[in-house]
Amino acid sequence: MDKFLKLGSDMALLWENYGSAYISGMGSTLALALIATLIGCIIGLICGILNTIPYNEYTPRPKRFLLKLIRVIVRIYVEVFRGTPMVLQAVFIYYGLPYFSGNTMQFDNLWTAAILIVSINTGAYMAESVRGGIISIDPGQTEGAKAIGMTHVQTMTSVILPQALRNIMPQIGNNFIINVKDTSVMFIIGFTEFFAFHRYITGVNNMYFPSAAIEMIGYLSMTLIASVILRFMEKRMDGDDSYELASEDQLVMAAGTYTHPDKGSPFDEYNKEGGSLKKAPGKKKRFGRGGDRL
Amino acid sequence: MSEVILEVKHLSKSFGSHSVLKDIDFNVSPGDVTSIIGASGSGKSTLLRCINLLETPTSGEIRYHGSVITGPGVDAAKYRSHVGMVFQSFNLFNNMTVLENCMVGQVKVLKKTKAEAREKALYYLDRVGMTPYINARPRQISGGQKQRVAIARALAMDPEILLFDEPTSALDPEMVGEVLSVMQKLAEEGMTMLVVTHEMAFARDVSKRVVYMNDGVICEEGTPGEIFGDPKKQETRDFLSRFRKEGPAV
Repeated sequence: MDKFLKLGSDMALLWENYGSAYISGMGSTLALALIATLIGCIIGLICGILNTIPYNEYTPRPKRFLLKLIRVIVRIYVEVFRGTPMVLQAVFIYYGLPYFSGNTMQFDNLWTAAILIVSINTGAYMAESVRGGIISIDPGQTEGAKAIGMTHVQTMTSVILPQALRNIMPQIGNNFIINVKDTSVMFIIGFTEFFAFHRYITGVNNMYFPSAAIEMIGYLSMTLIASVILRFMEKRMDGDDSYELASEDQLVMAAGTYTHPDKGSPFDEYNKEGGSLKKAPGKKKRFGRGGDRL
Repeated sequence: MSEVILEVKHLSKSFGSHSVLKDIDFNVSPGDVTSIIGASGSGKSTLLRCINLLETPTSGEIRYHGSVITGPGVDAAKYRSHVGMVFQSFNLFNNMTVLENCMVGQVKVLKKTKAEAREKALYYLDRVGMTPYINARPRQISGGQKQRVAIARALAMDPEILLFDEPTSALDPEMVGEVLSVMQKLAEEGMTMLVVTHEMAFARDVSKRVVYMNDGVICEEGTPGEIFGDPKKQETRDFLSRFRKEGPAV
């Protein structure tokens, strides 16, 4: 028990001295994970659109070749960046770019480098997720869109991707949470996110375990909050379970509700006295299924 | 005689070694209401899908107002915006409401403003009796209602010709009527329609021309009176006799 008390007091001590450092680390981690996941999603969506541009025997030969080439390039990109560790990609890109360009191209901002690397990595995963999302949409929807004259890009952006995006929301969430944790490897290029502060702080005072406990709690609270927000967003994207009738049927009248424009109804006298037959305030009917969806 | 809208010449389509359409010749003039009947697998739907370029014909050509639309360098999307299609499985956009379904094509393809598109969409939704449901999503309405929305969506594009691919085959029997009555109204108003159907009563009573397809070829065509009253070919007689036995459809 006293071990726990000691841990508690050590953590409190660390927090007192380095609390702002931990918090700024969490901020960097969240910002990097969020930006990189968003850019990764965009890369994934673009790859998804490029990968599904249809061609047939009427497509001119150069265009057909180009489309095939694009698919090959996307495939290579996905396989390379999905198949190698991100920590290695970070080193490879961060030091590789100046190496090849004779130091004319190098990262003078660690944020740029970190965002680029994590985005490219996420994009490779998202490209496959988006592909799965597109496949999951009934091809009839594509035909329906084509039949009213939509182009491939219009079909994708208005009809298919919004639905695919909804279907892959759990995977986007997955990627975000993975990014929150995996950005910790960015210490390799000197990016100071949450975990980097652990390394600095323990380098000064050797309080490895209390600091690790703080890190554990920090990461877990970030990912748990992210999960809750993502669930909420999914619910929002599903839209309302019920809908409002836009107009009542003009010809349908309940018996006894007829009122002559000039003469009124026979009950007007009664209404004046008691007022008990007042018209109920116009309440719109709601139809639809309750929350019986999965 | 008015100008022909669509000309189908020597159209063939094979899937691998299986040839589905064999040398089809076929014209559509303005105001035509043509029913295509025939057994399942006889190529009716494939013909319709070729006409809308959802399938690429293996050989032959299709002309739209005289210009060939089967070949390289054709703007298929633009052509399709003139030729509406209603599918067996409705194919409404599930991410949009009923109203948005009828607006999106006008806004994206015809480049109309939202207000114009909305007005036209509301007009056609009213025509098919779906005004109360404009805020509903496809998953919330019945099959017959979905199909009526699909018809309104196609009409909102002001198509010159409307293709129906077995529009009532996926519906419960009690919903077939509401869709057919909408189609009948359209036919009476002079809409050019090409209908693949198993509803013999519709083919007989509403269409002006009936095409009987068998095994990938047009076996016989004529007025409903000719096809149903006095079919010339043995295959046509055999096909129709199956319906006669089954019920009062014909």
